[in-house]
Amino acid sequence: MDPTIWPKVHGAAVHFPLALALGSGLFDLAGFAVRERPPGPGLHSAGYWMMVLGALGSVPAVVSGLFMTKGSLLGHGALRMHHLFVWPAFTLLVALATWRVFTGQRASRRIFAGYLIAVAVAGALMTAAGYWGGEMMIAR
Amino acid sequence: MPPIIKSLSFAALAGGLALTSALAMGKVLQRSAARSSHQQPSPERLFEAPAPTLPELVARGRTLFLDSCAHCHGADARGDEGPDLHAVQVSDRYIVNIITRGIPHEMPSFAKKHGADDLTALTAYVRSLE
Repeated sequence: MDPTIWPKVHGAAVHFPLALALGSGLFDLAGFAVRERPPGPGLHSAGYWMMVLGALGSVPAVVSGLFMTKGSLLGHGALRMHHLFVWPAFTLLVALATWRVFTGQRASRRIFAGYLIAVAVAGALMTAAGYWGGEMMIAR
Repeated sequence: MPPIIKSLSFAALAGGLALTSALAMGKVLQRSAARSSHQQPSPERLFEAPAPTLPELVARGRTLFLDSCAHCHGADARGDEGPDLHAVQVSDRYIVNIITRGIPHEMPSFAKKHGADDLTALTAYVRSLE
């Protein structure tokens, strides 16, 4: 197998969960602002599916990253920084999607506000991970 | 148990499970990579005396290391893209072979860049890493 396939797959795969999770947060925030009741047919529905697809999309991103680094879980330098943000982001993203699927549609407005804050934290962690991923590419 | 605690616990469990699966997969890949790489002990190390680690030779080896190797193995040789080189369980001849031949798809050959003196210094430096 071409050994350069994993960096290419990783580079392609990581943008889906990042964009979908951030997009999900923005749609849900808009739905929250206009007081749309989840599960509404509009903004919250878009936020729901983007979060679910974002979490699902994070799996190939993580798996391709593990193959690319031959299983490095932390590493050194920029890779270490990347991983320090990736692992909490991945955990939080999966947890948020799980909560959203099983409970989020019935959550009170107050609890949903907490969910939005957690999505913002996940988005910040993923963005920081993306920044350090980009630093590694520049360092090459 | 209140529904909010129950749902949060379930979500935390799912996140933890995802993380544990990823870490376990990483460990499996690490072992697999180590098996097919130069991080495995080589048998000849048992029969060959290691290169002398004279301070001036080690210093020269470190200079060469920083020039040719540090961008992959890290300035402290603790590994980055390439593996950690501290306390490698391989013979000096094995180290020289890896530097001169490289590893297919993993590490380039440095045969054209480093001659015998350089290789001795680089080996001494790698050997000095505890």
